[in-house]
Amino acid sequence: MKWFKQLSIDRKLNYAVILLLSTALLFASAFIYINTYNTVDEIVEANSKEINKQIILNYENYFNDVRDLANYIELKTKEVEIANQESLHEIYSNVATLNSDTITISLVKMDGTIAATSKLNYSAYEDLTERYWFDRAIDNEEVYFFSTPHPQDVFVDSNEQVISVSKQIDYYEYSQKYSGVLLIELSTEQIDTLAKQTNLGENGHLIIISDKNQLIYSSTDKCQNSTCDSNVIARKIIIGGDFVSIDGTDMYVSINTIHGTRWRIATFINVDLIGSSKISIFFLLSTVLVVTIFISTLIASILTKQITRPLNKLKEHMTDIQHSDHLYKEVEVRGQKEVVILAAAYNEMIKEIRGLMNQLVDEQNEKRKTELIALQTQINPHFLYNTLDSIIWLSEQNDNEHVIEMVMALSRFFRISISRGKDIITIDKEIQHAKYYLKIQTIRYSNKFEYTVNVEESIKDKKVVKLILQPIIENAIHHGISTEFKGQIDISVYKKDGFIYFEVMNNGYGLTDEQIEEIYEKIQNDNHESIGLKNVVQRLKLYYGERSGIHIKSVLDESTTIQIYFPLEKG
Amino acid sequence: MKKLIIAFLFISLGLFLTGCRTKEVEVPLIIYDYDDLYMQQFEELIYDNKNYNSYRFESYDSKNSQIIQNDIINDVFLDNPRVIIVNPVDRLGVYPIIEKAKEKDVPIIFINREPLKEDMYSYDQLFYVGAKPEQSAIFQADIIIDLFGGNSYYLNELDKNNDNNIQCVILKGEPGHQDAEIRTERVVQELTDRGFHIDILIIEEAYFSQEIAKEKMTDLLVEFGNTIELVISNNDAMAIGAIEVLKEEGYFVDENDNGVIDRDTETWMPVVGIDGLPIALELIDQGYLSGTVLNDSKSMALAINELTNALVTGEKLSDIMSDLEDDKYIWIDYKKYTPNDK
Repeated sequence: MKWFKQLSIDRKLNYAVILLLSTALLFASAFIYINTYNTVDEIVEANSKEINKQIILNYENYFNDVRDLANYIELKTKEVEIANQESLHEIYSNVATLNSDTITISLVKMDGTIAATSKLNYSAYEDLTERYWFDRAIDNEEVYFFSTPHPQDVFVDSNEQVISVSKQIDYYEYSQKYSGVLLIELSTEQIDTLAKQTNLGENGHLIIISDKNQLIYSSTDKCQNSTCDSNVIARKIIIGGDFVSIDGTDMYVSINTIHGTRWRIATFINVDLIGSSKISIFFLLSTVLVVTIFISTLIASILTKQITRPLNKLKEHMTDIQHSDHLYKEVEVRGQKEVVILAAAYNEMIKEIRGLMNQLVDEQNEKRKTELIALQTQINPHFLYNTLDSIIWLSEQNDNEHVIEMVMALSRFFRISISRGKDIITIDKEIQHAKYYLKIQTIRYSNKFEYTVNVEESIKDKKVVKLILQPIIENAIHHGISTEFKGQIDISVYKKDGFIYFEVMNNGYGLTDEQIEEIYEKIQNDNHESIGLKNVVQRLKLYYGERSGIHIKSVLDESTTIQIYFPLEKG
Repeated sequence: MKKLIIAFLFISLGLFLTGCRTKEVEVPLIIYDYDDLYMQQFEELIYDNKNYNSYRFESYDSKNSQIIQNDIINDVFLDNPRVIIVNPVDRLGVYPIIEKAKEKDVPIIFINREPLKEDMYSYDQLFYVGAKPEQSAIFQADIIIDLFGGNSYYLNELDKNNDNNIQCVILKGEPGHQDAEIRTERVVQELTDRGFHIDILIIEEAYFSQEIAKEKMTDLLVEFGNTIELVISNNDAMAIGAIEVLKEEGYFVDENDNGVIDRDTETWMPVVGIDGLPIALELIDQGYLSGTVLNDSKSMALAINELTNALVTGEKLSDIMSDLEDDKYIWIDYKKYTPNDK
């Protein structure tokens, strides 16, 4: 179940809905199908049995009539003196004429001769005691024997197909009671007529078999002897009903005895239709099942989508924020009410966080700026101390001109340094500030170096963070001035490609690539002790962001150029 | 959750087990027709005389249709019964039932209607408990002879026309029915054999039915009236039907109001039946019916139960009380019942 727990919410909901629905529908369909299947079978079975019963009733009625007839003849025979052949013949022939399917009626004596018959001029076989119907009548005194259809076997001149009905009865000859066998020969027509009365469907048929499973009658040409399929099936089932297949046709066979005879009727009713109706029910149910599951799945997935889509959107947005800086983006969610409320709350929260973060950054920047300015101005007391020492020395030399020059430059230098507390000043002011500084230093270093300042006229009014040029010049003087040769510092300020460049070049010993790398590293590394260049770069970044920076280039024993730049529009 | 499921399973298992606790052996008792008064009473007797706990009966009504009986038999065979008891609708039609039983190796006890000999001997687990039909006719003849004074040369006053012939009508049961045929034939034969002259006015087939007997008797009274000296009926039901008609026509009068009908020659007509239905016995006590031959149903019921128990428990058949002829037949003697037996 672990895998299930790890599924996404919409998968889980979809799977659950599909699983539940499929199970329920499958069970319901299976139940309906089995139920219908059984009901169809039951109905067919009941119908088939009913038909079988009706057919049997028809035959029973017929055989009852035959028995009634025989009973009547038996009674009449007892009332008549057998010596009076004429009257018995009259009775028999009357009855035979009245019943069209009765071919002959005869009374056979125990010696096998005919005592009386309905036939007028006859010539009979001599000994009839060996006939099967004769034996059977003697065997079971009280029972009517019905033979299988056979060629007529009493009279010489005919071989008509007949059914022999025989029974042992009493008769009186010269007032003496004797036993004899009453024989009624029936035409097979009536049996055929009764069989054809009922429609048993295509290939449907009936067979009549004896207690010895001999075929007595068959309504189909396909079954003409005791070894045909229908007879074999009937023999196996004995009595009752079942679904069978004969020559590929589905049939329902039901077998029952005919009352008062030793015969059974097996009716084979075509039930091919139910097979196909079962298949169509199966397909119908399957289609309904598939369509229902499909539609349910669709609805389920739409519903879950409605809930999970906004949730997923929210989720994606949140993961996005974790990995990037798109904190400012608000998520826009439509759909499930609860999720929309959640998203709105989330947006509110993001807004709040954004505000707080901006505030924090601003505060940090301000704090940093103040710190850096303070650091920058920290240099000044040292510089002031040196400058004042120089002024003292100049005064002692009575070099008044230089004293005045120096004090004035110092005064202006500090004025610009302070700039009434402003951080941003014009480039012009910044250049002036640098020039005052250079003037002071040239006097201090008694013209050990020379300098040039080139400023592009058009950018003089642009604004710049104050006190960025002086630390670089200080650096150039520091590292570039030597006692061995006259130093040269060239300062140029220009704009190029939307940036403003402050460039300070000196002709010192120059720096190796390793040394330059080291300087860059010092500038970048926060932990390193503060140097002037680093301070400048940090402030540039604070004001101008990442688009500002520093470049150091050097040619050994020739020159070193330090370049700082920042975007023009900011100025 | 798991515990709950396990508990649930145990409870269902328990219910299931109690549902199918050891069942008694069920013995199907398939009656040919519940509308037959005699069979109703006989069935009751079979239940009442069940002195064993090894089985219990389950009754079925074939509604006088062999087709229904075949269906019932197919059904009960599905449960693989130890033994079945069949009262056949059509004695000629039992051979398929026997074939089925042979196939399933199930013994059958036939009651009330005796199958053909050839069928009975086609399988060794077939039994028949009943009376020899001809005996009832012989006993009925005995009653008639007693009724007419016992002397064939000099009949008593019941020979109304003093011709020393007994003018009688016979109410016959279903033609072709073994009992009907044998009873009709044997009663006449027995009387004849013993020297009594029987003048059969008519043999009416009333199909063992009280209602049909009533119809036929009404016609017979119109046709023969007081020339009838005796009504011989194949069973009590038809005899009762005949008595009802006779009562309606003014016969049977209790002149001295003692609760018994007087045997006045003008208003009394002897009617004899067979079967010994309780109503018939009452009618005998009241003087309407002159006598009946009792199927000793109680002895039969006892024998049926004894045989059933032996077949269910596997007891040796030679150990049972009743005589078993040919390992198949238990013959129970008939009993006579006349006003003298009151």
